[in-house]
Amino acid sequence: MAGIIEIKNVTKEFRVLNRREGLKGSLKDLFSRNYKTVRAVDNVSMSIQQGEIVGYLGPNGAGKSTTIKMMTGVLEPTSGEILVNGCVPYKNRTKNAENIGVVFGQRSQLWWALPLIESFRLLKDIYQISDSGYDEMMKLYGSLVDIEPLLHKPVRQMSLGQRTLSDILAAFLHDPKIVFLDEPTIGLDVSMKAKIRTLIHALNKEKKTTVILTTHDMGDVDALCRRIVIIDHGKMLYDNDIEHLKSFFGSYRTLKVRVDGDLAAQTQQIQGQYPDFSVTCDEQEEWISVLVDEDRQKVLDVLSQLQKTHRIKDMQLEEISTEEVIKKIYEEGVR
Amino acid sequence: MKRKGLRFYLHIYRKILAQDIKSKMSYRADFIISTIGMIFTNISGFVGFWILFRNFPSINGWSYHEMLFLYGFSLVSITPVQCLFDNNWSLRQQVYSGDFIKYCFRPINLFFYYQSEVFDIKGLGQLAFGIGTIAYSWSRIGLAFTPLMLLKLIVFLITASLIMIALQNAAAATCFWIQNSFYVLDLAFRFKDYAKYPVTIFSTVFRFIFTFIVPIAFIAYYPSLVILRPDEIPLLSWLSPFIGIAFFFVSYKIWMRGATRYSGTGS
Repeated sequence: MAGIIEIKNVTKEFRVLNRREGLKGSLKDLFSRNYKTVRAVDNVSMSIQQGEIVGYLGPNGAGKSTTIKMMTGVLEPTSGEILVNGCVPYKNRTKNAENIGVVFGQRSQLWWALPLIESFRLLKDIYQISDSGYDEMMKLYGSLVDIEPLLHKPVRQMSLGQRTLSDILAAFLHDPKIVFLDEPTIGLDVSMKAKIRTLIHALNKEKKTTVILTTHDMGDVDALCRRIVIIDHGKMLYDNDIEHLKSFFGSYRTLKVRVDGDLAAQTQQIQGQYPDFSVTCDEQEEWISVLVDEDRQKVLDVLSQLQKTHRIKDMQLEEISTEEVIKKIYEEGVR
Repeated sequence: MKRKGLRFYLHIYRKILAQDIKSKMSYRADFIISTIGMIFTNISGFVGFWILFRNFPSINGWSYHEMLFLYGFSLVSITPVQCLFDNNWSLRQQVYSGDFIKYCFRPINLFFYYQSEVFDIKGLGQLAFGIGTIAYSWSRIGLAFTPLMLLKLIVFLITASLIMIALQNAAAATCFWIQNSFYVLDLAFRFKDYAKYPVTIFSTVFRFIFTFIVPIAFIAYYPSLVILRPDEIPLLSWLSPFIGIAFFFVSYKIWMRGATRYSGTGS
């Protein structure tokens, strides 16, 4: 079955001026046309079905935003094919825009000076939403979040959390087939994050909206995505169920300890004790982190062993973070 | 989906405008101070003008009141660009910071959506100044007031506005290609100061530049000739409405091409 988004062997290249160093170099740059080609997205293919929530992950500069810009029709791919809702986004930007909603993290797309309700009314006209469709959506919103206090507040007076929430509501207002969420929970507190995750989940369930979510927060992924796609240096590294990833990486835990004595020496000593695990230290916070593979040794065993040899002042146990998963995938590949 | 014609856009524009004015009024101090500022800017312009004519009874065959007409004409013709296209001034900033991308996600014309966002209400005061000046000089010169003359005046005011808008669009759009485009825009806007003088007072070189390269002579001079010098209207005056439309269209195309080329900074 053809997906709602079909991406085939898409590559995007940018031409970047080779900058030289120093004042003399800058002067030379004025006249030279010495470009190098940077491949931001390299031969990526994927097929996304209606109603899926896909986590699109990767470190900063991996090519996530570039891919999303191509799917929304802002950028033209250098080669390859993209079909969104059966049309080529770059050639039909405005037509494509009718069927998608976009939230770009910290950049609000609402009218800054207007109360939210006025923004909604403008969007109703711009997207030509029918009265019944609009009312139905507002009713749904009312049942999902406490929207009343937001409606009459100008966007500029809102907190970041309220603004993000409003932006998400605005993106879903015209009942689009696909919504792109670029780091929607960035900079938000824990309760707001939870609220936003619940909202996205409910809207996806209620409206069967396809959601493409980029994030650095593993909590977002755990709460929302069944499938994740990982990209780095423009190349696709992983595209599968999250369960698969978890079964592979779930056995890793990070044990962080604060111990007496010189940090560097202690780190070295612990590394010597556990040559198989990676041991790092954070000099500012004075944490020593041990990435424990629980298939080999239980994390509590490691802790009790450390207790015998060191005086532990403080300890923390952490699940492996997105960054570490991606780093591991990048370093070792997917088995 | 219905086709999005002129009516659709007018409707949207009216709504955005009404909202924008409503919200501007809520910053009352800001509104009052900037209005006072605008009034003083205009008064100082007039004073400079008046002092000039205290010393020279006429400039190159143009009398005080004729020059005043030209002055009022240029004031009125730059009103639309100030009121409706003011967002061009922040284009550079928005492109540089990457905020411009938010305009690309809506199913409406990009240029329209961008410009519709800001309406500078202060320009209306200037419009009143300009109309007053035209009316005053009109009666002092002793021009006839017929429907035909009024029609001519309106047509040529629109022409002049289109050229001013075109100049600013094109200048603002340079930011899609070059980093520090503020100077281009600033320069283009300063050129308007020359628009209020008859182009004949400049040397041949500048006359050529102001007519064919940076067409500011079309902002006030060529159109005013139709009204002030009905016996010696050059062909260029009659052509100016078409030139105005053409320039506007070209500037729109440049702007849109720049926006299409725009790829946004990473986020």
